[in-house]
Amino acid sequence: MSSSLIRSTRTRLSLASTPSLARSYAAPNQDVAQGDPKREIIRRVLYPSNIKNRSTPIGTWRPDVGRALQRAIPSVQAHETIERAWLLHKRHIRKAREAEAARKFACMKEAMDVLHDVDLRLYMEANRKDDPRARTREEMEAMKTMKTSEIRALEARIRGLFPRELRIPTDTPSRTGWKYEWKSKKTSTP
Amino acid sequence: MLSRTCSRNVVVGLSLRRALATEATTQTPGQPHENVGRVKKASKPGVSTSVILNRSPILTRPPTPFELAYYSYQARIRRSLHNPFPNDFYFKQGTLTETRFNIEERKRERLAFGPGFLEKEDISEEKRLANIAAVEQLAQQEGEGEELMPRTHAADVQGDVKSLDRRGHRNLYLLLHSVEGGKDVWRFPQGEAEKGLFLHQAAQKELHSACGDNMDAWIVGKTPVGVHKLQNTPSQDPASESEHVVFFFKAHIMAGQVIPTRESIKDFAWLTKEEIGDRVDQHYWDSIKDILSDY
Repeated sequence: MSSSLIRSTRTRLSLASTPSLARSYAAPNQDVAQGDPKREIIRRVLYPSNIKNRSTPIGTWRPDVGRALQRAIPSVQAHETIERAWLLHKRHIRKAREAEAARKFACMKEAMDVLHDVDLRLYMEANRKDDPRARTREEMEAMKTMKTSEIRALEARIRGLFPRELRIPTDTPSRTGWKYEWKSKKTSTP
Repeated sequence: MLSRTCSRNVVVGLSLRRALATEATTQTPGQPHENVGRVKKASKPGVSTSVILNRSPILTRPPTPFELAYYSYQARIRRSLHNPFPNDFYFKQGTLTETRFNIEERKRERLAFGPGFLEKEDISEEKRLANIAAVEQLAQQEGEGEELMPRTHAADVQGDVKSLDRRGHRNLYLLLHSVEGGKDVWRFPQGEAEKGLFLHQAAQKELHSACGDNMDAWIVGKTPVGVHKLQNTPSQDPASESEHVVFFFKAHIMAGQVIPTRESIKDFAWLTKEEIGDRVDQHYWDSIKDILSDY
């Protein structure tokens, strides 16, 4: 087995022409021929020989970094203008979102004010904070008569917490699309 | 029911009320309480609950052209600055996967920096073409990857307003076309609140009775999000209390579809905010337009 390793190391060492895109690793050390080539590779990955600048984690740039940057950034002023435009864009989005939230809150406040004037009992109930773990007496009564699947469905929806089925938006829709056939497990509402 | 908890709640409620009314009524704090006493004796307005059933966006928002340009600009800068890729760590030299990676990497570099940036490779033209053919064969052998579904659905093309797959990136709201008292209006599912129930329970019950039990709808909490005062006789002076008040509750639909149960509900539609504005009465729209999400 060691002989095949040595052979493979030799063949790798003889290939001096790395592709033009291999970025600036020094040629492998000719002395270390008997050791495990993997160790040599890992060493070269972690400690490249052409350390030009210590800003990156392993301390190296690509060989044509200056030329690439010239291509990427048009000029200092252009770069700063683009950054300012981006920050302004984010500010617009943020302000719009905050304004929308403020409008919605104002609507809610008005609704609660009107409710307070209309019916105090309903207002008190709307304001009361629920203990998510508590279950009302009606629910306890109903649970005695329900099947296991219904009990599980009831326990899954915790009052005051978001349900698990609320999906996060994705880039592409699911294969099956919207689930139109949905059957309620509960027979009565709590 | 006068228990200790009730009195405590009243104190808490009053302080909460004062805390809520920070900017509005600072001149005459005594008057609202007097009005409540007077109105209760005179005529208690009827209370209805309504549910704003929202289908949240399924798809992410499409980025604007400026955002796309900025992201590709930043990607170019990152590409020019980041560490060189350790080819021989990841790919065994001379294998087809390495050839494939090199071809793809050249494409990415050309896309980022332009055609004139890369040096010519030092392999012959026929070898290059042979490499490309071999990589294509490898792709065929490996089989196709997963096909992604397109972002526009058939319902978008047809304009099917009953579909819940339409406009995946927008918020859709349920609007019912109901006939009541001779007029037919487009509005959210609405109904009178029974005496014994709390508001959110009444809203849930109304939703079930109007739209059927075939929906996984979840009402967000017990607090109403908006209010609409029905003006039966607009000729009366505006100081008098309106006869009927509708409280809106926000709900989310996660699965299922509406099945109209009552005769008075002729039609339903899942609409975005602008489409609702087109169909609904002006007075109703003024009450609900600030509750709905813009996007």
